[in-house]
Amino acid sequence: MQNGPRETPIVSAQGVGKQVSTAAGSLEILREVDFRVASGESVAIVGVSGSGKSTLLGLLAGLDLPTAGRIELAGECLNDLDEDGRARLRAAQAGFVFQSFQLLPGLTALENVMLPLELAGVPEAASRAAQLLERVGLETRLEHYPRQLSGGEQQRVAIARAFAMTPAVLFADEPTGNLDAATGARIISLLFELNAERGTTLILVTHDPDLARRCQRTIRLEAGRVVSDEH
Amino acid sequence: MNTRLAHLRLALRLLLRDWRAGELHILFAALVIAVTATTAIGFFTDRLQRGMVSQSAGLLGGDLLLRGARAPDAQWLEEAGRRGLDHSRVLEFPSVVLRGDDLQLSAIRAVTDGYPLRGELRVAERPYGEDRVVNSIPPTGEVWVEARLLPLLNMEVGQSLELGSVRLRVAGVLAFEPGPGGGFFALAPRVLMNQADLARAGVLQPGSRVAYQDFFAGETAALAGYRDWLEPRLDPGQSLVDVRGGQPTVGGALERAEQYLGLASLVAVLLAGVAIAMGARRYAERHFDVSAMLRCLGAAQRDILALFLPQLLVLALLGSVLGILLGYLAQGGLLYLLRELLPGKLPAPGPLSVLLGLLTGLIVLAGFALPPVLRLRQVPALRVLRRDLTPMPLSGWLVYGTAIGAMAVLMWRYTGSAALTLGLIGGTLAALVLLALPAWLLLRTSRLLRPGLGATWRQGFQHLWRQPLLSVSQILAFGLTFMAMALIALVRGDLLDDWQQQLPAETPNHFVVNVLPEQLEGFQAFLRARDIEDSGLYPLVRGRLAAIEGEDPASRVAEGEETPGAINRELNLTWSRQLPSGNRLTEGHWWPADTEGEAVVSMETGLAQRLGVGLGDELRFSFGADSLRVTVTSLRSLRWDSFQPNFFMIFPPGLLDDQPTTYMTSFYLPETRKGELAVLMREFPAVTVIDLDRILNQVRIILHQVTLAVEFVLVFVLLAGFAVLYAALQASLDARLHEGALLRTLGASRRQLRAGHVAEFGLLGLLAGLLAALGTELVARLLYARVFDLAYGAQWWLWWSLPLGGALLVGVAGVWATRRVVRQSPLVVLRGL
Repeated sequence: MQNGPRETPIVSAQGVGKQVSTAAGSLEILREVDFRVASGESVAIVGVSGSGKSTLLGLLAGLDLPTAGRIELAGECLNDLDEDGRARLRAAQAGFVFQSFQLLPGLTALENVMLPLELAGVPEAASRAAQLLERVGLETRLEHYPRQLSGGEQQRVAIARAFAMTPAVLFADEPTGNLDAATGARIISLLFELNAERGTTLILVTHDPDLARRCQRTIRLEAGRVVSDEH
Repeated sequence: MNTRLAHLRLALRLLLRDWRAGELHILFAALVIAVTATTAIGFFTDRLQRGMVSQSAGLLGGDLLLRGARAPDAQWLEEAGRRGLDHSRVLEFPSVVLRGDDLQLSAIRAVTDGYPLRGELRVAERPYGEDRVVNSIPPTGEVWVEARLLPLLNMEVGQSLELGSVRLRVAGVLAFEPGPGGGFFALAPRVLMNQADLARAGVLQPGSRVAYQDFFAGETAALAGYRDWLEPRLDPGQSLVDVRGGQPTVGGALERAEQYLGLASLVAVLLAGVAIAMGARRYAERHFDVSAMLRCLGAAQRDILALFLPQLLVLALLGSVLGILLGYLAQGGLLYLLRELLPGKLPAPGPLSVLLGLLTGLIVLAGFALPPVLRLRQVPALRVLRRDLTPMPLSGWLVYGTAIGAMAVLMWRYTGSAALTLGLIGGTLAALVLLALPAWLLLRTSRLLRPGLGATWRQGFQHLWRQPLLSVSQILAFGLTFMAMALIALVRGDLLDDWQQQLPAETPNHFVVNVLPEQLEGFQAFLRARDIEDSGLYPLVRGRLAAIEGEDPASRVAEGEETPGAINRELNLTWSRQLPSGNRLTEGHWWPADTEGEAVVSMETGLAQRLGVGLGDELRFSFGADSLRVTVTSLRSLRWDSFQPNFFMIFPPGLLDDQPTTYMTSFYLPETRKGELAVLMREFPAVTVIDLDRILNQVRIILHQVTLAVEFVLVFVLLAGFAVLYAALQASLDARLHEGALLRTLGASRRQLRAGHVAEFGLLGLLAGLLAALGTELVARLLYARVFDLAYGAQWWLWWSLPLGGALLVGVAGVWATRRVVRQSPLVVLRGL
């Protein structure tokens, strides 16, 4: 097992654990997870279903709080922030790409990409969003609604939205899970191109060995524990 | 049998689980609102009707009542005696009673021993105090009065009042008196006196306006025989009222209030029904998986129904019982608001209203919730493998058909007429479609705001724009409720004031009738000495229009039109040498100034039109036994609100000399000089002064109470509107939770999320308010012009208060109902919810 590079990490987890209480008693989803991710790194979190991958991603992004240990994102300890504080941090530092795209059905492609910019009060949101859509090859689809787009196109809108705020870290949850192999491959290429262009840190959860192989580093989870961490 | 029991037990367990999970709350709340609204009105009208009808013999004061403006033939009373019937006579007339400088026009009822023949008198020792049954009438020198008279005269029980020339001690408060109320003087407080005091009082003179009420009681057969004997002998001015035939009414205001209340409660039921339908749909959709699993395990469609229908039934029963309890409480509120209009004590509501409440709950739930729940039976078993399999959507005919059917059944209960019910339903649907258009336009127009909106606001508005049908129906529901409330506030607050302000200054505010011919000079001198300007003294003779061109006047009224009051009662007839001021000839010629005793008449043009009378037609008038034939030589139009004495029929001088005559006039007397009326009353005790200011004040009080009662019921409508809003929110809650979580993931703060909700519901309320302002303005304009004949000034306050109020009310309710969305952890996006 190896630790990450020595310089200041953009994401770090120290002794992270997560327990939830269920009707049958308490359930331990994650236990003593430790690692650091350097700025610009690309990391794949892999493991079988139920190994705690998505829960870990959610904790790293500040969508939930761990029950043990501490997590830092961009130098701020998430444990010390309330929900609105974490939301502020996400708005400034994190981007997301989901398996099921998660576009808002009532908004056009352009408006979906504008959303994080507008939430943060960034001026000229529309022109920046249009540029991003052009970058992902959707310049002719700006006014289309999600239901009028194919799965691959929807995921490209989601990627444009994820990069809209030029986040320090991009979190991706099975970004190719709902796509056929060919479309999935194109989406992966796009993701890594943008990642390289903008120097973004990439942390993704995947089942896809091809996708994991393209990352610089792979963290494997089994039953809530890190069992390997390879460069 | 055992399986059935097992099904039932499982059904109850599922019901309990769903209840705990909050799945049924909105369904239940909407049901309770519907039942509360209908039973509140149901209890109220039931008590009123039981008070009026079920003991009507006791309420009428006898088994049979002969009413007329003249004393019946002595021979008729002898005949009644021969047939073994008891008889008692009441004289009822308007008269002014005084105490010091205070005076009040009252309805005097002078009774004889034995009154009432049926039913009982109840008297209390102080206003609204404990009352007791009395088996006698007031002794001579004493009266019993309605409680509301006391404050009007600034007096207490035990003190004396003056009626004409006698002083009478107020010995008790009349808590309940049988007898037919109604008519103009139902407004006036009742005074019950002994007929023996009447002659000394000197208030009744030949020509005075008196209603004779002759009560009879006895064996059923004897009564029927007497009735048959009497009926052909009646003259047109007399009528027979029996227990079944003529139920007394409490007066038009109350009757109309009852109708409005009933209709308003139906609107509440309709809205609650919509909420129930939405709740039931969500409930059904959430149970698709359970049904599929049960089907997979071998349950037949019948078993699925056996599982879900008992749940509905239990829900209907529980909701109805709670609704009935709340309805009973609400009914108490209504009684309190309308207390001044109601006759004394009302009997408790009967078991029928309780049953009707239960039935309402069942009908509403069956009409609105059954179709979606029936869908559960059709869930394919394969759904356990493929979650996208849902049962066939319901046919719109089935859904709307059952709902409209349920509403029709409920409405029919109120109207009691199939034609009226169909008309109402058709009218309602047409009105909804008509109003949906401006609502939809408002919604469309609001989209123009879109480019200028920030992300959170646009996200909020988007919810309204994305489901225009749902949004339009919500705008309609709230808009109509706000409109009804605004209209009522407008009518209550402004109508009478507007009307009074439009009258010229010093418009007569007092009418004087029953001035005797021998007092005429003295009376005029009295007014002159005090510088009171009268509008001319007009002779008054009472007579009935008996025939037009030899035909019964009633037969001249067009089919379906209301019979003019003027042919059902004795008319005030007058004569005049000149055309009175304020009258304008529309046809024919006024007679020359020296005309004496010529058999001609001038008729009011409106009445002439309704009865199809033209110049040259022959009219016959009857005065008791006498009659008079005259030819119409002119038609006149007049302004009824001029407060001059106005007459349907004017004769030339010399024609009515043989009939008993009194005089009438009107004059203006400012508030500060009202004290002089007491002086006038003492000098001319037979004279009746009608103080219009007082009457208007009473009208204002009644209007206030009736509108308050209607607004009280509108609160249920508003509650039902909120139930619809809440149900709609529940239906979209999953999507909203998801969207909220996604926005949070993208970095939106709670404040931003809440701003989106404020935007959405604020806009909904704002648009509803705008629609309400538009509707109120239009309807009020129409009402003022067509019904009240008043000039209408635009009500600018409507245009800011309704939208603002609507935005605030609906905004707060919506933000409250969506609070979970704001609290939702963003992690659900990852978990896929």
